Amino acid sequence: MPVIQVNQREVHIQELNKGAAETVLLVHGMFSNLSVYYFNIAPVLAAHFHVVMYDLKSHGMSERVLEGYDLNSMTDDLCALMDVLKLKKVHLAGYSFGGLIALKMAMRFPEKLGKLVVIEAPDPNDEKTRGIIDDYSREFLEHYVANFTDTTKVKMGKRQMERNHRMYEYLFYQTSIKEDMILESGFFSTPEMNTLEKDTLLLYGSASNCLQAGKQLHKLISRSDLIPLNGDHNIPIQEPEMVANIVAGFFKN
Amino acid sequence: MDAIATNKQLNNDEIFDLMKQFITEVIGEEFVEEMDITPQSSFTKDLEMDSIEIVSFSEKIKTHFGEQIDFTGWLSAMDLDQLINLNLEMIINYIHECQLSR
Repeated sequence: MPVIQVNQREVHIQELNKGAAETVLLVHGMFSNLSVYYFNIAPVLAAHFHVVMYDLKSHGMSERVLEGYDLNSMTDDLCALMDVLKLKKVHLAGYSFGGLIALKMAMRFPEKLGKLVVIEAPDPNDEKTRGIIDDYSREFLEHYVANFTDTTKVKMGKRQMERNHRMYEYLFYQTSIKEDMILESGFFSTPEMNTLEKDTLLLYGSASNCLQAGKQLHKLISRSDLIPLNGDHNIPIQEPEMVANIVAGFFKN
Repeated sequence: MDAIATNKQLNNDEIFDLMKQFITEVIGEEFVEEMDITPQSSFTKDLEMDSIEIVSFSEKIKTHFGEQIDFTGWLSAMDLDQLINLNLEMIINYIHECQLSR
């Protein structure tokens, strides 16, 4: 199992088609893991690109870490990972919280990026999206799992529920994730957002609560296209094939 | 530890035992002891494996069989419903077919 050391911490990564000339790096969202890409999206991209997926800290099979969930720290982590993997430049795609990480990368390290795909990144200033990390409870977890995760179609068993409950409790009560997210509430208003010059593709669900954030980003980023797809915040799970093909086409051209 | 890629052809019972070994490594012996793993066991419903655990399981298969099979490619052709209903027998048959066609 590919677990590598990045800044003395264990990071779980998965790679496909290592020999390819260009690399696509995929960033998952909060409370999720790289499996959101692994089964359907990554293999389509791997027909043309070297694909790298990784689990964010305390997510999936990466090491638990108490602090550093702000976008500066998350992009520091991503840069360190690129250094370890000897990747000088990548195309970057991020989903939800991972989309915010991707945007922050484009602001801080434009020289390390080719093109940018942002899928369903929320506006951190929106109370509804932030509210999700304000009032955690067991009931919340059950609701969250039933509505917002890739296990929507399966009733979660006892072992899974316990496992997820432990992860959520850790993230909510022991790490700085809540405080760090609140500090990011002005992210869309930072001046750097206006000067972002990457070719950017914004993919949003037409029925998603985050669509408004997509429209906002489209206005802010001069070289961006916004494509609304059928679905809600879960489009990578609802329409994996379509998402994969659109992203592959965008990175290829 | 993951086994290294091997060229030995396995029969269906041997593949099943190997799958059971991989599942035990992924979810832990204490949980496997409570379960009756059969070829009909489905990953998500019966074995209660979540997607990141299925990633680990897939990695073990890829490491063991190496170039012999394109496991990720095979999985990628499935939609979410098919992945949810995936059971051991389907994987055993797939590996068996790959071995025959070599």
